[in-house]
Amino acid sequence: MAMQIEKLSDPSWAWAAYEPDAERPWNLAQAGHLYRRAAFGAGWDQLQQALSDGPQRSIDKLLRPQADTVAFNRTFDEYETSVNSVDALRAWWLRWMIQTPHPLLEKMTLFWHSHFATNAAEVKNARLMQQHVRLLRSQALGSFRTLLDGISQDPAMLLWLGAEANRKARPNENFTRALMENFTLGPGHYTAKDSQEASRAFTGWFVLRSKLRYISREHDTNEKLILGRKGNFACDDVLRIILEQPATSRHLVRKLYRWLISETEQPDEALIAPLAESFAKDYDVLKLVETMLRSNLFFSAAAYRRRIKSPVEFAIGIVKALEGSVSTTQLANDLADLGQNLYNLPTIRGWVGGKHWINSTAIVARNNLASALLQGSDRYGKKLNPWAVAQNHGCATLESARQFLLDLFLQSDLDSDVYDSLPKTNRGQDDDLGRRTRSLAYAIVTLPEFHLA
Amino acid sequence: MSYTRRDFLKATMGAATMLSFASPAPNLLVRAAGTGIARRDDSDTVLVVVQLSGGNDGLNTVVPYADDEYARNRPTLRLQPNDVHKIDSYLGFHPRMEAFSRLYKEGHLSIIHGVGYPNSDRSHDVAMRHWHTAEPDNPNCQTGWLGRAADSVWHTNQKDMPAVFVGPIVQPFGMRAEHVIIPSIQSPDDLTINLAPVESQQKLAGESFRADKDNPLLNHLRDCTANATVNSRRIDAVTRTSSNKTDYPAFQLAETLRTVAQLIRADVGIRIFFTELGGGGIGGFDNHANQLGNHCALLHQLSESLAAFIHDLKKYKLLDRVLLMTISEFGRTVKENGRRGTGHGVAAPIFLAGGKLKSGLVGSHPSLSDLDNGAMKFHTDFRRVYATVLDKWLGFESRRILDKQYEPLDILNV
Repeated sequence: MAMQIEKLSDPSWAWAAYEPDAERPWNLAQAGHLYRRAAFGAGWDQLQQALSDGPQRSIDKLLRPQADTVAFNRTFDEYETSVNSVDALRAWWLRWMIQTPHPLLEKMTLFWHSHFATNAAEVKNARLMQQHVRLLRSQALGSFRTLLDGISQDPAMLLWLGAEANRKARPNENFTRALMENFTLGPGHYTAKDSQEASRAFTGWFVLRSKLRYISREHDTNEKLILGRKGNFACDDVLRIILEQPATSRHLVRKLYRWLISETEQPDEALIAPLAESFAKDYDVLKLVETMLRSNLFFSAAAYRRRIKSPVEFAIGIVKALEGSVSTTQLANDLADLGQNLYNLPTIRGWVGGKHWINSTAIVARNNLASALLQGSDRYGKKLNPWAVAQNHGCATLESARQFLLDLFLQSDLDSDVYDSLPKTNRGQDDDLGRRTRSLAYAIVTLPEFHLA
Repeated sequence: MSYTRRDFLKATMGAATMLSFASPAPNLLVRAAGTGIARRDDSDTVLVVVQLSGGNDGLNTVVPYADDEYARNRPTLRLQPNDVHKIDSYLGFHPRMEAFSRLYKEGHLSIIHGVGYPNSDRSHDVAMRHWHTAEPDNPNCQTGWLGRAADSVWHTNQKDMPAVFVGPIVQPFGMRAEHVIIPSIQSPDDLTINLAPVESQQKLAGESFRADKDNPLLNHLRDCTANATVNSRRIDAVTRTSSNKTDYPAFQLAETLRTVAQLIRADVGIRIFFTELGGGGIGGFDNHANQLGNHCALLHQLSESLAAFIHDLKKYKLLDRVLLMTISEFGRTVKENGRRGTGHGVAAPIFLAGGKLKSGLVGSHPSLSDLDNGAMKFHTDFRRVYATVLDKWLGFESRRILDKQYEPLDILNV
């Protein structure tokens, strides 16, 4: 993948659909890349299928899977409504991510979870948190307009922001500030006055006993001036006005760019503009995600390994590759220790992510989690069995298992000195292949390269 | 956890094939040494915050034994003048705090009297949240003051974590940060990875088909992995040599402080430690009934654990780099209730321990007769104490962390 700098700065080339050629062939590395971004990693069969399907057909399947995802999601959703604690919700969502036939939907739900950051410890109501994430999932690849509308009426969000009371005499700016600063326009594209005026349009809305209520006598019916527009606006009008601002679609496209393409540098305005203009027309998330995933840019060196896996991506990547299933109750706790506590975002800014995920103690913690997942005797038991997986895919020797695991986890895309640092397979008294494959797998998933998405 | 982890590694690799799991460790170690990791500034100061959960009764901790009002208001809870460890003709430490009395005489303990804040709240959750956010006027504040302190010195290329929570409870809100992920640990093992000697290299066929030398994320990951390796080794070196378990009494807090001392000795860049006594929730210091025995046990634990910690640091000549501070959500009512307990109050003392303290007593003891709804009034805002430890001790900018400049107290020899 040679860096094609002059082409990358040309938006029409960057966003055009990638077609493999001699210079940028479709290979295992590209398939692995696609599955890290559009899913939570892949098992061997998925990688091989992708290899034979080619990029566009693989993306078709990720965007619109043939399996009955509706039935799957309905089953999971039904179970979830019987869950009564946030701990159980966290575990269940991780299971959902692992088992879903539509991983891109969960990946995007996770994106919106951080974008519309809430915190269950503050909301103190598991039912509301469940409804919140269900709302995110319902539009994760749907309409941002509908999603935003739902969020503005979402009891969990309003409680978390301290926006549960919006009296005429005391308009509450907590929601409108977050709306403009974090959810839509972004900093610098609105004034404190805009937020104040918008908060008057939201007067009358309350969360009472965990339910959204509208009390019309508490609504301020006077004229408001919001982002240069004047009128007797209600909350719907505020959302409409905000969605009409070019800053909103640009902000979202930039955020999704960081999620799907690259964390390393800020894209030029010229690169963002065509996607933002198109997104602003209908706020169709699926279309935007589709454009990004199919693009030349996505399959270029500018995107390849230019994101750091979140703890969830790191752990589920291991689980998916090894075709296993682990205690997600335990995993949810361990991921919280790594800084990604599902349902409990640290602040309204969500998980800042990127390099912030990683520091020397985070590396230690990730290594120790990998060890617990793989060693076969710690808190995760023997649920993951790399040797069995390697055997299922035709490996008979430790040497072949080693190559298999490198292909599986990293598509063997490593510098030679990194290769050389890995445990050798030709010596040692320990002839327990199961155990030795476990330590090989551990050595591979604790390489710096494996933390890259 | 660490034990089984090492077991796993040993069992799987066998002694002869023991290999480093820290991937390309040798190259990275060389690189790390080149970037100065081995030469950490040993003048870096360390802050240790100990939270006394539940609202400590300052009156029965630092006892105004000579005050008639004390005797009058505490018919069953009062501590006798002959039993307290006298500080002066008015005050004395609780009878089971002989270790505090010793530290005080050695100049390693300060008492800041009458700490609180305006319109303080008397519910545990709200008051503790105020002490954690340090922004009582902003009920929607989403970060803690120690989290913000860590964020204030954090930058995207930083490799080592400036703050850690040590203890068995859920990480308190005070460490909630926007950018930094502050780890919660229970022992030094939680910060170590297995480090085994690396065998001679063996070349493998198959060159990398992608030479990616300038990926800033990969470089960051490699640097952090190198630091994790070096730090692990340092922590291991310290924990292996400090086998003398008798230095610390058999209390949870003492074990926690031992861990803190070990990590300070390992010198892995942690500037802020946060820990807790009392259990985190309601309970602990919250003694509404039959206070005497429970409070006595907790104070004894606090006093003995802290003294062991101070002496440990002194032994390794590290005391001048360390400042410990206690916080609690509120003091208690002057008058005991009908159940030999006390209610939620306002002002309480803060204790500081370390090697650079200016004076034993800071401020005057609040009046026992001029009260705020049954509780002693505060005269020193806790954010002035926070500002002091941030500005004067850690050298962080308290204005950025506390949102405005509070006047620091002149209590440290720095």
